[in-house]
Amino acid sequence: MNMQIVKTLFEGFGENLILFIVTIIAAVPLGFVITFGSMSKWAPFKFVARIETNLRNNRFWAEVLDFLADFRPISFVTRVFVWIIRGTPLMLQLFVVLYVPGLLLGIPMRNRMTAALIAFIINYAAYFSEIYRGGIESIPKGQYEAGQVLGMTKTQVLFKVVLFQVVKRIVPPMGNEIITLVKDTSLARVIGVAEIIMSAERFTKQGLIGPLFSTGLYFLAFNGILTILLSKLEKKLDYYKG
Amino acid sequence: MAILEVKGIYKKFGTTEVLKGIDFSMEEGEVLSIIGSSGSGKTTLLRSISFLETADKGTITLDGELVFDAANPLKRNSTKQREIQSKFGFVFQSFNLFPQYTALENVMLAPRLAAKEREDYKKNKKEIMAEIENDAKELLDRAGLSDKYHNYPCELSGGQQQRVAICRALALKPKIMLFDEPTSALDPEITNEVLKVIKSVADLGMTMIIVTHEMNFAKNISDRIIFMDKGIIAEEGTAQEVFENPKNPRTREFITSFSQTGGKE
Ligand SMILES: Nc1ncnc2c1ncn2[C@@H]1O[C@H](COP(=O)(O)OP(=O)(O)OP(=O)(O)O)[C@@H](O)[C@H]1O
Ligand SMILES: [Mg+2]
Repeated sequence: MNMQIVKTLFEGFGENLILFIVTIIAAVPLGFVITFGSMSKWAPFKFVARIETNLRNNRFWAEVLDFLADFRPISFVTRVFVWIIRGTPLMLQLFVVLYVPGLLLGIPMRNRMTAALIAFIINYAAYFSEIYRGGIESIPKGQYEAGQVLGMTKTQVLFKVVLFQVVKRIVPPMGNEIITLVKDTSLARVIGVAEIIMSAERFTKQGLIGPLFSTGLYFLAFNGILTILLSKLEKKLDYYKG
Repeated sequence: MAILEVKGIYKKFGTTEVLKGIDFSMEEGEVLSIIGSSGSGKTTLLRSISFLETADKGTITLDGELVFDAANPLKRNSTKQREIQSKFGFVFQSFNLFPQYTALENVMLAPRLAAKEREDYKKNKKEIMAEIENDAKELLDRAGLSDKYHNYPCELSGGQQQRVAICRALALKPKIMLFDEPTSALDPEITNEVLKVIKSVADLGMTMIIVTHEMNFAKNISDRIIFMDKGIIAEEGTAQEVFENPKNPRTREFITSFSQTGGKE
């Protein structure tokens, strides 16, 4: 393979790496924001539960009142959002981010890379948020209670007791997502980001199929490094069970 | 003067009344056991005393200070609430040790965090930390865990974990220790090592309330026994009165069922 090809593919993979790194840096914290939204307990109609009314004698109205009392708008809206993001293809989301601002607001998305980044960050933040939520919800209530009876503040319980346990639990599923993200970056090609596969296709058009297949090696090498780093991290966190 | 006075504690979950007006008081150094069948509200009572649940009615006075009034409960997480909280040591049925910390770290965590609020913390940091460590080690030594300082909870047996949990609660120097079935999650062979530690704490003059199904233990250790039934105190008296000569037919039934099954429900 000649140097020209290797150089072009490297440049293409550079775009994949930018997508990967910026997405991780932005989606990891944004995921937390979404988690707090979906776990929000704010129930503005809670007072309904305390109202004494004859309506409760009716099955239907009793159900309506119970629903209203339990209704958590922030949590509800966030979960619908996460459902949409996780329930539709990332490829479609890329097109939506690229075209919808222009169609609706008259501000066309000029930079394809920016559009791709926005789509990736939102998509991955939604996935991360669900992993975080699972991690947080898997911590037994007894851990919080033990902190409380020891006179700790809520913040102390969060940072000294719960956080580490959550991190330990979310590292393996986060590792999976991160490796998926590396491969997903090639989807940016559909909105014209010149990532590695798009770069390789230039050579396919010239009748060279080898470069296209060789892109796999770049992904393999990078994911290999990530796998090693992740398993090192997992081992580090594995000094206790549970 | 009573160290603890519990008055009219009432608690319901949804529409089920779990505690229907509980009154009792304790003298300093007294050991009180609470017995009663499953679902009678023993855990809920203990949790209400230690603010894990907020009772709907009633008051709690500790050492002459009104620490809980259902009509005007303290804000969760407030400094005052936490200060009172740490006067009650709580031992859970399921230990609830912090898995990422060693036995010693589990015992030291709360005292260290509390020490940071002391005014002289910055100046005497080293001495304060060393003192906390010494106290923690001493507690673990007394619980027979001097060779387990640096083991993680997952490396300890259930009995050892519960002993660490007892040390952890004692490390804050509480005025009253509350035990909720401290040996129910343990194999029968190792309940004794935990009971021995509890006994040694009692012998040091600690005031304590023990919810237990270990009737022999309750009989031996308690100055007084409360029998709870369906959210009320059905009988109260010395171990002898309650076990040998129960007045309430429900108590009699409960105690007979225990002696027939050899102490296990
Ligand atoms: N958080 C809760 N929500 C709803 N009901 C509850 C809750 N906690 C306890 N209860 C109910 O309150 C009643 C008393 O429970 P509690 O745990 O205090 O009983 P107990 O005497 O400790 O029983 P056991 O000997 O089985 O531990 C039970 O009927 C239980 O189902
Ligand atoms: Mg109980």
